[in-house]
Amino acid sequence: MEFVERIISNPVMMEYVWKPLVVILILLFIVLTLVAYLVYAERKVSAFIQARLGPMRVGPYGLLQPLADLIKLILKEDIIPAQGDRGIFKFAPILSVVCALVVLAVIPFGWGVATITDINIGLLFILSVSSVGILGIILGGWASNSKYPLLGALRSSAQMVSYEVAMALALVGPLMFAKSLSMTAIVEAQRTDHIWYLLYQPVAFLVFLVAGVAETNRTPFDLPEAEAELVAGFHTEYSGFRWSLYFLAEYTNMLISSAIAVTVFLGGWSFPFLDRLRPEHPGLFTLLSIFVFAVKVFVLIYMFMWFRWTFPRYRYDQLMDLGWKWMIPAALANILITGAIIMIGQETLGLTKVVGGEYGERLVVPGLAGKAYFIGMAWLVLVPMTWFILAMINRRSYDFNLRAQRQIRLPERPATEDVFGKV
Amino acid sequence: MVAHRRRNWKQAISRFLLLDLLKGMIVTFKWQAPSKCYTVQYPKVRPRIGERFRGAPRLNRDPETGESLCIACNLCAVACPENLITVTEEVREYLDEASGKVKKKRFLADYLYDTSRCMFCGYCQDVCPTYAIELTQEFELAIYRRRAFAWTWEMLENGIDQPVYTR
Repeated sequence: MEFVERIISNPVMMEYVWKPLVVILILLFIVLTLVAYLVYAERKVSAFIQARLGPMRVGPYGLLQPLADLIKLILKEDIIPAQGDRGIFKFAPILSVVCALVVLAVIPFGWGVATITDINIGLLFILSVSSVGILGIILGGWASNSKYPLLGALRSSAQMVSYEVAMALALVGPLMFAKSLSMTAIVEAQRTDHIWYLLYQPVAFLVFLVAGVAETNRTPFDLPEAEAELVAGFHTEYSGFRWSLYFLAEYTNMLISSAIAVTVFLGGWSFPFLDRLRPEHPGLFTLLSIFVFAVKVFVLIYMFMWFRWTFPRYRYDQLMDLGWKWMIPAALANILITGAIIMIGQETLGLTKVVGGEYGERLVVPGLAGKAYFIGMAWLVLVPMTWFILAMINRRSYDFNLRAQRQIRLPERPATEDVFGKV
Repeated sequence: MVAHRRRNWKQAISRFLLLDLLKGMIVTFKWQAPSKCYTVQYPKVRPRIGERFRGAPRLNRDPETGESLCIACNLCAVACPENLITVTEEVREYLDEASGKVKKKRFLADYLYDTSRCMFCGYCQDVCPTYAIELTQEFELAIYRRRAFAWTWEMLENGIDQPVYTR
Protein backbone atom coordinates (compact mmCIF):
# COMPACT_ATOMS: atom_id res chain seq x y z
CA MET A 1 0.00 0.00 0.00
CA GLU A 2 2.74 2.34 1.02
CA PHE A 3 4.57 1.45 -2.18
CA VAL A 4 1.59 2.41 -4.30
CA GLU A 5 1.22 5.66 -2.40
CA ARG A 6 4.85 6.49 -2.94
CA ILE A 7 4.47 5.91 -6.68
CA ILE A 8 1.42 8.11 -6.90
CA SER A 9 2.83 11.02 -4.91
CA ASN A 10 6.31 10.83 -6.37
CA PRO A 11 7.13 14.27 -7.84
CA VAL A 12 8.79 12.71 -10.89
CA MET A 13 5.71 10.57 -11.55
CA MET A 14 3.59 13.65 -10.98
CA GLU A 15 5.53 15.67 -13.52
CA TYR A 16 6.01 13.06 -16.22
CA VAL A 17 3.07 10.65 -15.86
CA TRP A 18 0.02 11.96 -14.03
CA LYS A 19 -0.01 15.52 -15.31
CA PRO A 20 0.51 14.53 -18.98
CA LEU A 21 -2.12 11.81 -18.59
CA VAL A 22 -4.69 14.32 -17.43
CA VAL A 23 -3.76 16.68 -20.25
CA ILE A 24 -3.94 13.85 -22.80
CA LEU A 25 -7.36 12.79 -21.56
CA ILE A 26 -8.74 16.32 -21.71
CA LEU A 27 -7.24 16.94 -25.13
CA LEU A 28 -8.46 13.63 -26.52
CA PHE A 29 -11.94 14.23 -25.17
CA ILE A 30 -12.11 17.68 -26.75
CA VAL A 31 -10.58 16.66 -30.05
CA LEU A 32 -12.66 13.51 -30.49
CA THR A 33 -15.85 15.40 -29.74
CA LEU A 34 -14.72 18.07 -32.15
CA VAL A 35 -14.04 15.50 -34.84
CA ALA A 36 -17.48 13.97 -34.35
CA TYR A 37 -18.97 17.40 -34.81
CA LEU A 38 -16.77 18.03 -37.84
CA VAL A 39 -18.58 15.13 -39.47
CA TYR A 40 -21.83 16.80 -38.56
CA ALA A 41 -20.54 20.13 -39.92
CA GLU A 42 -19.46 18.45 -43.12
CA ARG A 43 -22.92 16.94 -43.58
CA LYS A 44 -24.53 20.29 -42.88
CA VAL A 45 -22.26 22.22 -45.23
CA SER A 46 -22.73 19.68 -48.00
CA ALA A 47 -26.48 19.82 -47.45
CA PHE A 48 -26.59 23.61 -47.58
CA ILE A 49 -24.53 23.69 -50.75
CA GLN A 50 -26.89 21.18 -52.33
CA ALA A 51 -29.98 23.15 -51.19
CA ARG A 52 -30.85 20.58 -48.54
CA LEU A 53 -31.08 20.77 -44.78
CA GLY A 54 -28.91 17.85 -43.67
CA PRO A 55 -29.49 15.97 -40.42
CA MET A 56 -32.45 17.51 -38.61
CA ARG A 57 -34.21 14.74 -36.71
CA VAL A 58 -31.86 13.69 -33.88
CA GLY A 59 -31.98 16.49 -31.36
CA PRO A 60 -32.56 20.14 -32.23
CA TYR A 61 -31.19 20.79 -35.72
CA GLY A 62 -29.77 17.27 -35.66
CA LEU A 63 -27.16 18.22 -33.07
CA LEU A 64 -27.15 14.76 -31.50
CA GLN A 65 -26.51 13.07 -34.84
CA PRO A 66 -22.80 12.37 -34.05
CA LEU A 67 -23.91 10.43 -30.97
CA ALA A 68 -26.35 8.38 -33.01
CA ASP A 69 -23.65 7.74 -35.61
CA LEU A 70 -21.25 6.62 -32.90
CA ILE A 71 -23.75 4.15 -31.46
CA LYS A 72 -24.45 2.81 -34.91
CA LEU A 73 -20.75 2.38 -35.68
CA ILE A 74 -20.01 0.60 -32.40
CA LEU A 75 -22.93 -1.79 -32.81
CA LYS A 76 -22.03 -2.71 -36.38
CA GLU A 77 -20.54 -6.10 -37.13
CA ASP A 78 -16.76 -6.09 -37.37
CA ILE A 79 -15.92 -8.00 -40.53
CA ILE A 80 -12.42 -9.21 -41.35
CA PRO A 81 -11.93 -10.71 -44.81
CA ALA A 82 -11.31 -14.46 -44.64
CA GLN A 83 -8.31 -14.30 -46.97
CA GLY A 84 -6.95 -11.07 -45.52
CA ASP A 85 -3.96 -10.66 -43.26
CA ARG A 86 -5.70 -10.51 -39.90
CA GLY A 87 -2.91 -8.98 -37.87
CA ILE A 88 -2.08 -6.19 -40.26
CA PHE A 89 -5.76 -5.63 -40.95
CA LYS A 90 -6.32 -4.91 -37.27
CA PHE A 91 -3.13 -2.88 -36.88
CA ALA A 92 -3.54 -0.54 -39.87
CA PRO A 93 -6.39 1.71 -38.67
CA ILE A 94 -4.77 1.98 -35.25
CA LEU A 95 -1.56 3.20 -36.86
CA SER A 96 -3.48 5.78 -38.86
CA VAL A 97 -5.28 7.12 -35.82
CA VAL A 98 -2.26 7.15 -33.54
CA CYS A 99 -0.19 9.09 -36.05
CA ALA A 100 -2.97 11.60 -36.43
CA LEU A 101 -3.49 12.05 -32.69
CA VAL A 102 0.18 12.18 -31.66
CA VAL A 103 0.65 15.29 -33.75
CA LEU A 104 -1.87 17.15 -31.63
CA ALA A 105 0.66 17.31 -28.82
CA VAL A 106 2.83 19.98 -30.42
CA ILE A 107 0.15 22.26 -31.79
CA PRO A 108 -0.12 25.52 -29.86
CA PHE A 109 -3.85 25.84 -29.30
CA GLY A 110 -3.43 29.06 -27.40
CA TRP A 111 -1.26 31.05 -25.03
CA GLY A 112 0.09 29.63 -21.77
CA VAL A 113 -1.61 26.44 -20.62
CA ALA A 114 -3.07 25.80 -24.03
CA THR A 115 0.39 25.29 -25.51
CA ILE A 116 0.76 21.72 -24.36
CA THR A 117 4.32 20.98 -25.37
CA ASP A 118 6.78 23.08 -27.23
CA ILE A 119 9.58 21.09 -28.80
CA ASN A 120 12.14 22.90 -30.90
CA ILE A 121 11.59 20.64 -33.92
CA GLY A 122 7.79 20.94 -33.80
CA LEU A 123 7.08 21.37 -37.47
CA LEU A 124 9.54 18.66 -38.46
CA PHE A 125 7.93 16.35 -35.90
CA ILE A 126 4.48 16.99 -37.34
CA LEU A 127 5.58 16.39 -40.91
CA SER A 128 7.45 13.19 -40.11
CA VAL A 129 4.78 11.66 -37.87
CA SER A 130 1.91 12.48 -40.17
CA SER A 131 3.75 10.89 -43.09
CA VAL A 132 3.90 7.63 -41.12
CA GLY A 133 0.12 7.79 -41.13
CA ILE A 134 0.19 6.96 -44.82
CA LEU A 135 1.58 3.59 -43.85
CA GLY A 136 -1.72 2.84 -42.11
CA ILE A 137 -3.56 3.42 -45.35
CA ILE A 138 -1.16 1.32 -47.40
CA LEU A 139 -1.21 -1.52 -44.89
CA GLY A 140 -4.99 -1.41 -44.70
CA GLY A 141 -5.25 -1.65 -48.45
CA TRP A 142 -2.72 -4.47 -48.57
CA ALA A 143 -4.15 -6.52 -45.71
CA SER A 144 -7.66 -6.46 -47.16
CA ASN A 145 -6.52 -8.82 -49.92
CA SER A 146 -8.98 -7.32 -52.33
CA LYS A 147 -8.44 -5.40 -55.53
CA TYR A 148 -10.15 -2.09 -54.80
CA PRO A 149 -8.44 -1.47 -51.46
CA LEU A 150 -5.10 -2.29 -53.01
CA LEU A 151 -5.68 0.12 -55.89
CA GLY A 152 -6.77 2.78 -53.42
CA ALA A 153 -3.70 2.20 -51.29
CA LEU A 154 -1.39 2.40 -54.28
CA ARG A 155 -2.94 5.64 -55.37
CA SER A 156 -2.80 7.09 -51.91
CA SER A 157 0.86 6.24 -51.44
CA ALA A 158 1.82 7.85 -54.75
CA GLN A 159 -0.31 10.88 -54.04
CA MET A 160 0.82 11.43 -50.49
CA VAL A 161 4.48 10.95 -51.24
CA SER A 162 4.38 13.51 -54.02
CA TYR A 163 2.32 16.07 -52.14
CA GLU A 164 4.31 15.73 -48.95
CA VAL A 165 7.30 17.18 -50.81
CA ALA A 166 5.36 20.22 -51.91
CA MET A 167 3.92 20.66 -48.42
CA ALA A 168 7.30 20.60 -46.72
CA LEU A 169 8.88 22.86 -49.33
CA ALA A 170 6.05 25.37 -48.97
CA LEU A 171 6.78 25.63 -45.26
CA VAL A 172 10.38 26.64 -45.89
CA GLY A 173 9.40 30.15 -46.98
CA PRO A 174 7.81 31.24 -43.70
CA LEU A 175 10.57 29.45 -41.79
CA MET A 176 13.09 31.81 -43.39
CA PHE A 177 11.40 34.61 -41.50
CA ALA A 178 10.75 32.74 -38.26
CA LYS A 179 14.13 30.97 -38.24
CA SER A 180 12.75 28.23 -36.01
CA LEU A 181 10.86 24.96 -36.36
CA SER A 182 9.15 25.35 -33.01
CA MET A 183 5.47 26.06 -33.47
CA THR A 184 5.38 28.45 -30.53
CA ALA A 185 8.37 30.36 -31.87
CA ILE A 186 6.65 30.78 -35.23
CA VAL A 187 3.57 32.21 -33.54
CA GLU A 188 5.71 34.45 -31.33
CA ALA A 189 7.65 35.74 -34.32
CA GLN A 190 4.44 36.73 -36.07
CA ARG A 191 2.94 38.20 -32.93
CA THR A 192 5.90 40.36 -31.98
CA ASP A 193 6.37 41.44 -35.58
CA HIS A 194 2.66 42.32 -35.95
CA ILE A 195 2.33 40.42 -39.21
CA TRP A 196 0.77 37.29 -40.61
CA TYR A 197 3.14 35.37 -42.83
CA LEU A 198 0.30 34.99 -45.32
CA LEU A 199 1.12 38.54 -46.39
CA TYR A 200 4.79 37.70 -46.95
CA GLN A 201 4.18 34.27 -48.46
CA PRO A 202 1.03 34.08 -50.60
CA VAL A 203 2.42 31.42 -52.93
CA ALA A 204 3.55 29.20 -50.10
CA PHE A 205 0.12 29.51 -48.48
CA LEU A 206 -1.64 28.47 -51.66
CA VAL A 207 0.71 25.54 -52.22
CA PHE A 208 0.34 24.46 -48.61
CA LEU A 209 -3.43 24.67 -48.79
CA VAL A 210 -3.63 22.57 -51.94
CA ALA A 211 -1.11 20.06 -50.63
CA GLY A 212 -3.01 19.96 -47.35
CA VAL A 213 -6.22 19.05 -49.15
CA ALA A 214 -4.33 16.35 -51.02
CA GLU A 215 -2.68 15.09 -47.83
CA THR A 216 -6.00 14.63 -46.09
CA ASN A 217 -7.47 12.68 -49.01
CA ARG A 218 -10.27 15.07 -49.62
CA THR A 219 -11.96 16.05 -52.84
CA PRO A 220 -10.72 17.15 -55.38
CA PHE A 221 -7.84 14.84 -54.42
CA ASP A 222 -9.78 11.95 -52.91
CA LEU A 223 -8.50 9.41 -55.40
CA PRO A 224 -7.58 6.84 -52.72
CA GLU A 225 -11.23 6.52 -51.79
CA ALA A 226 -12.87 7.63 -55.01
CA GLU A 227 -16.29 6.19 -54.37
CA ALA A 228 -17.31 6.28 -58.01
CA GLU A 229 -14.29 4.26 -59.12
CA LEU A 230 -12.98 2.22 -56.22
CA VAL A 231 -16.07 1.50 -54.08
CA ALA A 232 -14.48 3.09 -51.02
CA GLY A 233 -10.76 2.78 -51.76
CA PHE A 234 -8.50 1.52 -49.02
CA HIS A 235 -11.29 1.07 -46.46
CA THR A 236 -13.64 -0.93 -48.68
CA GLU A 237 -13.33 -4.02 -46.50
CA TYR A 238 -13.49 -2.14 -43.21
CA SER A 239 -16.69 -1.91 -41.26
CA GLY A 240 -17.92 -0.77 -37.91
CA PHE A 241 -15.44 0.62 -35.45
CA ARG A 242 -12.32 -0.02 -37.55
CA TRP A 243 -13.82 2.01 -40.36
CA SER A 244 -14.68 4.77 -37.95
CA LEU A 245 -11.02 4.84 -36.85
CA TYR A 246 -10.02 5.64 -40.42
CA PHE A 247 -12.70 8.26 -40.54
CA LEU A 248 -11.43 9.72 -37.29
CA ALA A 249 -7.90 9.82 -38.69
CA GLU A 250 -9.06 11.62 -41.81
CA TYR A 251 -10.90 14.32 -39.93
CA THR A 252 -8.13 14.72 -37.36
CA ASN A 253 -5.70 15.15 -40.22
CA MET A 254 -7.92 17.85 -41.63
CA LEU A 255 -7.90 19.56 -38.26
CA ILE A 256 -4.11 19.30 -38.08
CA SER A 257 -3.53 20.62 -41.60
CA SER A 258 -5.68 23.63 -40.82
CA ALA A 259 -3.93 24.09 -37.48
CA ILE A 260 -0.50 24.09 -39.15
CA ALA A 261 -1.68 26.51 -41.81
CA VAL A 262 -3.08 28.79 -39.13
CA THR A 263 0.07 28.59 -37.02
CA VAL A 264 2.49 29.18 -39.84
CA PHE A 265 0.60 31.56 -42.11
CA LEU A 266 -2.21 33.16 -40.14
CA GLY A 267 -0.45 34.07 -36.92
CA GLY A 268 -1.67 31.16 -34.78
CA TRP A 269 -3.54 32.26 -31.69
CA SER A 270 -2.37 35.86 -31.93
CA PHE A 271 -4.69 38.59 -33.02
CA PRO A 272 -4.11 42.33 -33.46
CA PHE A 273 -4.81 44.51 -30.40
CA LEU A 274 -5.48 41.47 -28.21
CA ASP A 275 -2.06 41.60 -26.51
CA ARG A 276 -3.03 44.49 -24.24
CA LEU A 277 -5.16 42.11 -22.21
CA ARG A 278 -2.26 39.85 -21.31
CA PRO A 279 -0.70 41.67 -18.31
CA GLU A 280 -3.99 42.40 -16.60
CA HIS A 281 -6.19 39.37 -17.42
CA PRO A 282 -3.96 36.39 -18.23
CA GLY A 283 -6.83 33.92 -17.80
CA LEU A 284 -9.12 35.80 -20.13
CA PHE A 285 -6.26 36.22 -22.56
CA THR A 286 -5.67 32.46 -22.63
CA LEU A 287 -9.34 31.79 -23.32
CA LEU A 288 -9.46 34.45 -26.01
CA SER A 289 -6.32 33.10 -27.65
CA ILE A 290 -7.86 29.62 -27.80
CA PHE A 291 -11.01 31.17 -29.24
CA VAL A 292 -9.06 33.09 -31.90
CA PHE A 293 -7.16 29.95 -32.86
CA ALA A 294 -10.39 27.94 -33.08
CA VAL A 295 -12.06 30.54 -35.27
CA LYS A 296 -9.13 30.63 -37.66
CA VAL A 297 -8.99 26.84 -37.82
CA PHE A 298 -12.70 26.59 -38.46
CA VAL A 299 -12.53 29.12 -41.25
CA LEU A 300 -9.92 26.94 -42.94
CA ILE A 301 -11.88 23.75 -42.29
CA TYR A 302 -14.91 25.39 -43.80
CA MET A 303 -12.78 26.15 -46.83
CA PHE A 304 -11.78 22.49 -47.04
CA MET A 305 -15.44 21.49 -47.02
CA TRP A 306 -16.28 24.21 -49.47
CA PHE A 307 -13.58 22.89 -51.84
CA ARG A 308 -14.92 19.39 -51.44
CA TRP A 309 -18.43 20.26 -52.52
CA THR A 310 -17.34 22.57 -55.33
CA PHE A 311 -14.60 20.86 -57.28
CA PRO A 312 -14.87 17.58 -59.13
CA ARG A 313 -12.20 14.93 -58.62
CA TYR A 314 -8.99 15.10 -60.61
CA ARG A 315 -8.01 12.37 -62.99
CA TYR A 316 -5.01 10.42 -61.77
CA ASP A 317 -2.56 11.85 -64.33
CA GLN A 318 -3.84 15.34 -63.63
CA LEU A 319 -3.23 14.77 -59.96
CA MET A 320 0.37 13.77 -60.56
CA ASP A 321 0.79 16.64 -63.01
CA LEU A 322 -0.46 19.11 -60.45
CA GLY A 323 1.85 17.69 -57.82
CA TRP A 324 5.06 17.47 -59.79
CA LYS A 325 4.69 20.15 -62.44
CA TRP A 326 2.91 22.87 -60.48
CA MET A 327 3.13 22.46 -56.72
CA ILE A 328 6.75 21.42 -56.30
CA PRO A 329 8.17 23.93 -58.85
CA ALA A 330 6.02 26.64 -57.26
CA ALA A 331 7.35 25.80 -53.81
CA LEU A 332 10.94 25.69 -55.05
CA ALA A 333 10.58 28.97 -56.93
CA ASN A 334 9.03 30.46 -53.82
CA ILE A 335 12.04 29.47 -51.73
CA LEU A 336 14.47 30.91 -54.25
CA ILE A 337 12.68 34.20 -54.80
CA THR A 338 11.92 34.68 -51.11
CA GLY A 339 15.57 34.13 -50.36
CA ALA A 340 16.51 36.77 -52.91
CA ILE A 341 13.95 39.20 -51.49
CA ILE A 342 15.26 38.69 -47.97
CA MET A 343 18.84 39.08 -49.15
CA ILE A 344 18.07 42.35 -50.87
CA GLY A 345 16.05 43.64 -47.94
CA GLN A 346 18.68 42.64 -45.44
CA GLU A 347 21.97 43.42 -47.14
CA THR A 348 21.19 46.19 -49.61
CA LEU A 349 18.32 48.05 -47.98
CA GLY A 350 19.02 47.16 -44.34
CA LEU A 351 15.36 46.80 -43.53
CA THR A 352 15.67 43.81 -41.24
CA LYS A 353 17.61 42.81 -38.21
CA VAL A 354 18.19 39.50 -36.54
CA VAL A 355 17.36 39.49 -32.86
CA GLY A 356 17.73 36.80 -30.28
CA GLY A 357 14.92 36.07 -27.90
CA GLU A 358 13.24 33.49 -25.78
CA TYR A 359 13.09 31.10 -28.73
CA GLY A 360 16.44 31.79 -30.39
CA GLU A 361 17.21 34.37 -32.98
CA ARG A 362 14.76 35.37 -35.64
CA LEU A 363 14.33 37.84 -38.46
CA VAL A 364 12.52 40.99 -37.46
CA VAL A 365 11.22 43.64 -39.80
CA PRO A 366 10.90 46.83 -37.80
CA GLY A 367 9.12 49.81 -39.25
CA LEU A 368 6.44 50.25 -41.85
CA ALA A 369 8.90 50.66 -44.72
CA GLY A 370 10.26 47.18 -44.22
CA LYS A 371 6.82 45.63 -44.00
CA ALA A 372 5.68 47.50 -47.08
CA TYR A 373 8.79 46.30 -48.90
CA PHE A 374 8.23 42.66 -48.00
CA ILE A 375 4.47 42.66 -48.64
CA GLY A 376 4.84 44.55 -51.89
CA MET A 377 7.64 42.33 -53.11
CA ALA A 378 5.62 39.23 -52.20
CA TRP A 379 2.48 40.20 -54.05
CA LEU A 380 3.93 42.22 -56.93
CA VAL A 381 7.16 40.32 -57.64
CA LEU A 382 7.00 36.88 -56.04
CA VAL A 383 3.55 35.93 -57.33
CA PRO A 384 4.02 37.03 -60.97
CA MET A 385 7.52 35.54 -61.09
CA THR A 386 6.33 32.21 -59.73
CA TRP A 387 3.51 32.27 -62.20
CA PHE A 388 5.92 33.01 -65.03
CA ILE A 389 8.18 30.12 -64.02
CA LEU A 390 5.21 27.76 -63.80
CA ALA A 391 3.91 28.93 -67.15
CA MET A 392 7.34 28.28 -68.69
CA ILE A 393 7.55 24.80 -67.17
CA ASN A 394 4.02 23.86 -68.19
CA ARG A 395 4.08 25.55 -71.56
CA ARG A 396 3.58 22.31 -73.42
CA SER A 397 1.58 20.30 -70.92
CA TYR A 398 -2.11 19.53 -70.85
CA ASP A 399 -4.57 22.07 -69.60
CA PHE A 400 -6.55 21.23 -66.48
CA ASN A 401 -9.53 22.98 -67.86
CA LEU A 402 -11.39 20.25 -69.70
CA ARG A 403 -13.07 22.70 -72.02
CA ALA A 404 -9.72 24.10 -72.99
CA GLN A 405 -8.40 20.58 -73.36
CA ARG A 406 -11.03 19.76 -75.91
CA GLN A 407 -9.95 22.74 -77.97
CA ILE A 408 -6.39 21.51 -78.26
CA ARG A 409 -5.49 21.07 -81.91
CA LEU A 410 -3.84 17.76 -82.57
CA PRO A 411 -1.22 17.79 -85.29
CA GLU A 412 -2.34 16.41 -88.62
CA ARG A 413 -1.64 12.71 -88.79
CA PRO A 414 0.09 11.65 -92.01
CA ALA A 415 -1.87 9.21 -94.13
CA THR A 416 -0.85 5.57 -93.81
CA GLU A 417 0.25 5.50 -97.44
CA ASP A 418 2.72 8.32 -96.91
CA VAL A 419 4.41 6.41 -94.12
CA PHE A 420 4.39 2.86 -95.37
CA GLY A 421 3.95 3.34 -99.10
CA LYS A 422 1.24 1.62 -101.08
CA VAL A 423 0.18 -1.59 -99.45
CA MET B 1 2.57 15.21 -78.83
CA VAL B 2 0.07 17.97 -78.47
CA ALA B 3 0.14 21.21 -80.37
CA HIS B 4 0.56 24.22 -78.11
CA ARG B 5 -2.66 26.14 -77.79
CA ARG B 6 -2.24 29.89 -77.84
CA ARG B 7 -4.17 31.95 -75.34
CA ASN B 8 -5.06 35.57 -75.57
CA TRP B 9 -4.39 37.95 -72.68
CA LYS B 10 -7.85 37.66 -71.21
CA GLN B 11 -7.62 33.89 -71.02
CA ALA B 12 -4.12 34.05 -69.58
CA ILE B 13 -5.16 36.43 -66.82
CA SER B 14 -8.24 34.43 -65.92
CA ARG B 15 -6.00 31.37 -65.74
CA PHE B 16 -3.50 33.15 -63.57
CA LEU B 17 -6.12 34.35 -61.11
CA LEU B 18 -7.86 30.92 -61.11
CA LEU B 19 -11.09 32.64 -62.08
CA ASP B 20 -12.75 29.38 -63.12
CA LEU B 21 -12.26 27.92 -59.67
CA LEU B 22 -13.40 31.11 -57.95
CA LYS B 23 -16.51 31.23 -60.09
CA GLY B 24 -17.41 27.69 -59.06
CA MET B 25 -16.81 28.49 -55.42
CA ILE B 26 -19.01 31.57 -55.60
CA VAL B 27 -21.80 29.47 -57.08
CA THR B 28 -21.64 26.89 -54.30
CA PHE B 29 -21.37 29.62 -51.67
CA LYS B 30 -24.48 31.38 -52.92
CA TRP B 31 -26.48 28.17 -52.86
CA GLN B 32 -26.08 27.97 -49.10
CA ALA B 33 -28.62 30.73 -48.54
CA PRO B 34 -31.48 29.33 -46.42
CA SER B 35 -33.98 30.77 -48.88
CA LYS B 36 -32.70 28.40 -51.56
CA CYS B 37 -33.38 25.29 -49.51
CA TYR B 38 -35.73 22.86 -51.20
CA THR B 39 -36.21 20.42 -48.34
CA VAL B 40 -39.68 20.13 -46.80
CA GLN B 41 -39.53 18.76 -43.25
CA TYR B 42 -42.19 16.25 -44.25
CA PRO B 43 -43.88 14.81 -41.20
CA LYS B 44 -43.59 18.15 -39.42
CA VAL B 45 -44.49 20.30 -42.40
CA ARG B 46 -47.07 19.10 -44.89
CA PRO B 47 -46.00 19.46 -48.50
CA ARG B 48 -48.14 21.56 -50.78
CA ILE B 49 -50.12 19.21 -53.00
CA GLY B 50 -51.43 20.08 -56.44
CA GLU B 51 -55.13 20.83 -56.73
CA ARG B 52 -55.72 18.08 -59.23
CA PHE B 53 -53.75 15.46 -57.35
CA ARG B 54 -55.65 12.16 -57.07
CA GLY B 55 -55.08 10.34 -53.81
CA ALA B 56 -57.08 8.33 -51.32
CA PRO B 57 -60.73 7.67 -52.25
CA ARG B 58 -63.58 9.11 -50.19
CA LEU B 59 -67.29 8.38 -50.22
CA ASN B 60 -69.09 11.65 -49.62
CA ARG B 61 -72.11 12.23 -47.44
CA ASP B 62 -74.85 14.71 -47.83
CA PRO B 63 -73.76 17.55 -45.55
CA GLU B 64 -77.35 18.35 -44.51
CA THR B 65 -78.92 14.97 -43.87
CA GLY B 66 -75.76 13.02 -43.21
CA GLU B 67 -76.83 10.23 -45.53
CA SER B 68 -74.55 8.76 -48.13
CA LEU B 69 -74.68 10.43 -51.51
CA CYS B 70 -74.16 7.05 -53.18
CA ILE B 71 -77.23 5.74 -54.97
CA ALA B 72 -75.69 2.32 -55.58
CA CYS B 73 -75.88 2.70 -59.36
CA ASN B 74 -72.73 0.57 -59.83
CA LEU B 75 -71.34 2.91 -62.51
CA CYS B 76 -68.02 3.31 -60.68
CA ALA B 77 -67.55 -0.43 -60.50
CA VAL B 78 -68.23 -0.69 -64.22
CA ALA B 79 -65.90 2.17 -65.07
CA CYS B 80 -63.03 0.88 -62.95
CA PRO B 81 -60.27 -0.57 -65.16
CA GLU B 82 -59.02 -2.74 -62.34
CA ASN B 83 -62.44 -3.99 -61.19
CA LEU B 84 -61.52 -3.18 -57.65
CA ILE B 85 -64.79 -1.58 -56.58
CA THR B 86 -67.53 -3.84 -55.30
CA VAL B 87 -70.89 -2.17 -54.78
CA THR B 88 -73.54 -4.17 -52.90
CA GLU B 89 -77.06 -2.81 -53.11
CA GLU B 90 -80.31 -3.65 -51.42
CA VAL B 91 -83.84 -2.63 -52.23
CA ARG B 92 -85.62 -1.11 -49.25
CA GLU B 93 -89.05 0.39 -48.66
CA TYR B 94 -89.09 3.91 -47.41
CA LEU B 95 -91.63 6.65 -46.63
CA ASP B 96 -91.64 9.37 -49.26
CA GLU B 97 -92.37 12.57 -47.37
CA ALA B 98 -93.62 14.54 -50.38
CA SER B 99 -96.43 12.15 -51.30
CA GLY B 100 -96.80 10.36 -47.99
CA LYS B 101 -96.62 6.94 -49.68
CA VAL B 102 -94.34 3.99 -49.02
CA LYS B 103 -91.98 3.53 -51.96
CA LYS B 104 -89.24 1.08 -52.93
CA LYS B 105 -85.70 2.22 -53.76
CA ARG B 106 -82.19 0.86 -54.15
CA PHE B 107 -79.92 1.67 -51.24
CA LEU B 108 -76.20 1.11 -50.74
CA ALA B 109 -75.61 -1.94 -48.58
CA ASP B 110 -71.84 -2.17 -48.72
CA TYR B 111 -69.00 -0.57 -50.64
CA LEU B 112 -65.56 -2.19 -50.96
CA TYR B 113 -62.62 -0.36 -52.50
CA ASP B 114 -59.32 -2.26 -52.84
CA THR B 115 -56.65 0.46 -52.69
CA SER B 116 -53.82 -2.04 -53.18
CA ARG B 117 -54.81 -2.40 -56.83
CA CYS B 118 -55.93 1.16 -57.42
CA MET B 119 -53.92 3.24 -59.91
CA PHE B 120 -55.76 6.46 -59.08
CA CYS B 121 -56.96 7.04 -62.63
CA GLY B 122 -60.04 8.86 -61.36
CA TYR B 123 -62.54 7.19 -63.72
CA CYS B 124 -64.83 6.39 -60.78
CA GLN B 125 -65.10 10.01 -59.73
CA ASP B 126 -65.60 11.10 -63.34
CA VAL B 127 -68.47 8.72 -63.87
CA CYS B 128 -70.25 9.21 -60.55
CA PRO B 129 -73.60 11.01 -61.15
CA THR B 130 -73.96 12.24 -57.55
CA TYR B 131 -70.33 13.15 -56.79
CA ALA B 132 -70.31 10.48 -54.11
CA ILE B 133 -66.94 8.84 -54.80
CA GLU B 134 -64.06 11.26 -54.93
CA LEU B 135 -60.28 10.97 -54.96
CA THR B 136 -58.93 13.34 -52.34
CA GLN B 137 -55.49 14.87 -51.87
CA GLU B 138 -54.68 12.51 -49.03
CA PHE B 139 -51.63 10.48 -49.96
CA GLU B 140 -50.54 8.56 -46.87
CA LEU B 141 -51.92 5.15 -47.76
CA ALA B 142 -49.26 2.88 -46.26
CA ILE B 143 -50.62 0.38 -43.80
CA TYR B 144 -49.24 -2.57 -41.86
CA ARG B 145 -51.72 -5.35 -42.76
CA ARG B 146 -52.37 -6.40 -46.29
CA ARG B 147 -56.04 -6.99 -45.65
CA ALA B 148 -56.49 -3.39 -44.57
CA PHE B 149 -55.83 -2.23 -48.11
CA ALA B 150 -59.43 -3.12 -48.92
CA TRP B 151 -61.29 -0.08 -47.70
CA THR B 152 -64.78 -0.61 -46.38
CA TRP B 153 -67.66 1.85 -46.55
CA GLU B 154 -66.82 3.20 -43.13
CA MET B 155 -63.17 3.67 -43.96
CA LEU B 156 -64.08 5.39 -47.18
CA GLU B 157 -66.32 7.85 -45.37
CA ASN B 158 -64.11 8.55 -42.35
CA GLY B 159 -60.64 7.94 -43.70
CA ILE B 160 -58.12 5.58 -42.15
CA ASP B 161 -56.20 6.12 -38.95
CA GLN B 162 -52.99 7.92 -39.74
CA PRO B 163 -50.11 8.22 -37.33
CA VAL B 164 -50.09 11.68 -35.81
CA TYR B 165 -46.74 13.39 -35.61
CA THR B 166 -46.59 15.87 -32.80
CA ARG B 167 -43.12 17.26 -33.22
